[in-house]
Amino acid sequence: MTNAYQLSDIQVYRQQKCILDIPELEIQHNQCIALLGDNGAGKSTLLDLLAFLHRPEQGSIKLNGDVVNRSLSVAQRRCIGYVSQQPFLLSGTITDNIRLALKLQGVEPKQYDKLITQALDQVSLTPLADQTASTLSGGQLKRAAIARAIAHQPSVLLLDEPFSHLDQSHIKQLENIIEQLAQQSSKTIIFSTHDRLQGAALADTTINLVHGTVTKSPLINLFHGQLNGHVFDTGHLQIHTTNQQPHAKHIAIDPDEIIISPKVLDSSMRNHFRGRLIAITEEATTIRLTVDCGERFHALISPESLNSLNLKLGDMIYLSFKSTAVSVF
Amino acid sequence: MNYFSDSLAAAFGLIASFDQALYQIVLTSVGISLIAAIIAAALAIPAGIVMALNQFAGKQFLQSILNTLMAMPTVVIGLLLYGLFSRLGPLGHLELLYTPTAIIIAESILIFPIMMNLAIAAVTSADPRLVPTLISLGAKPKNLSIQVAKQTRFIMLAAVITGFGRAIGEVGAAMMLGGNIEGYTRTMTTAIALETSKGEFEMGLALGLLLLIIAFVINFLLSWLQRVKP
Repeated sequence: MTNAYQLSDIQVYRQQKCILDIPELEIQHNQCIALLGDNGAGKSTLLDLLAFLHRPEQGSIKLNGDVVNRSLSVAQRRCIGYVSQQPFLLSGTITDNIRLALKLQGVEPKQYDKLITQALDQVSLTPLADQTASTLSGGQLKRAAIARAIAHQPSVLLLDEPFSHLDQSHIKQLENIIEQLAQQSSKTIIFSTHDRLQGAALADTTINLVHGTVTKSPLINLFHGQLNGHVFDTGHLQIHTTNQQPHAKHIAIDPDEIIISPKVLDSSMRNHFRGRLIAITEEATTIRLTVDCGERFHALISPESLNSLNLKLGDMIYLSFKSTAVSVF
Repeated sequence: MNYFSDSLAAAFGLIASFDQALYQIVLTSVGISLIAAIIAAALAIPAGIVMALNQFAGKQFLQSILNTLMAMPTVVIGLLLYGLFSRLGPLGHLELLYTPTAIIIAESILIFPIMMNLAIAAVTSADPRLVPTLISLGAKPKNLSIQVAKQTRFIMLAAVITGFGRAIGEVGAAMMLGGNIEGYTRTMTTAIALETSKGEFEMGLALGLLLLIIAFVINFLLSWLQRVKP
């Protein structure tokens, strides 16, 4: 079976600086994929490439197994629905916007009413169908843009930071919509977010971006710095690793691999840091601890461990992890 | 009695009595300017949109030429067209000199760079998300321009009105190319110049007042469009 996307040897430059460098990336059909990374990691640039809004300076992108030429064919264009980070609704009502999208996609006019009704229903915006953009809240506007993007029933839906600038209730609403869309057969959804835990929770799989490159690291406990031999210097801490990559500038530590203790552990682990517990948050069935050791670490423990350790905010605690738990890239 | 106040009273009298000669001039002027505005808009607005949407070699140079043409004195346009349309000129056989067509051509040329620049400004000052949104919705190059024009239609209409306002107030080229022939090429501005030089100050004043009213209506329309534009 062909992939939804196949990217080869991609490089994108802005002002003579390479901002995206992807030697190889395959995105399979019928998956919900989270594009994770910090601001400036290249998430929007990659989504723009996948939407064919911009072309890379180097490399090729295959859509459904076919190389896309200078311009997309009608069939290729109809495969893709795209919602930008700050969606722009054109003049007129939500219905007018969806109708124009269908017209531009070359859909037969007799299908307009049915497809508009379906799209509005999927994002729960039917009661607001005749409202203009200026009367909508941020969350409603994003849902209207999603309705406009899915009306022609594309097989790929690209969402750039769909949860940004929204309050919790609207985030929840959008998460439900994405989950429902992802459950539909033959639908590939790719969304970007800088909230790694939210992305990991919603998606079947994640693509992690750091400074324009794809990495297999989970991007939690991500630090930048310099690798000298087996020691990575973040500027504040020296972290032992077994990996040796001459030009590595980043490390990431899996939060599940970090051991929390009230006293320093006598063990074979090479990394021990003392720090102040600055946050305790609940993440689904686990507890996330944030510890400031000069760098901020996130560790995941069970609620039972939290009780047995009797941790409180402000406590000075130790965290330990093996040098093999450190991914270098 | 005061010369000015007497003339002003007589001018109001001419306007109120719907003086046929007066309104004939107004109609000629409005008709010529309207046609010139439509012709210029039909060429300048698509050209402006295409120029704004595309990057090409020499774009900056073309923009500089447009800016220069905007400041071109109308008598220079009149002079150049006079040379072309005069009996001995290369287009003399068309017998356009001293016809409304000659004035329309001159005014179209005069307002073309103004309208094109306004159309470029309308696209470049539109929401930066407009074009990427239309492309992401499936707009191909050929219908992207049409959709951009639709989305910026109020600003484009303002460009047409501005062009019309510039055309109706033009005097140099209209005088040189139209010849100020009564009932044929006599426009409001050329008539004001002629009537005043003849000592018919009240006729000139009446035309001036009507020109002011037209300018007011144009400005009213422009400020209304500023308010209603999306």
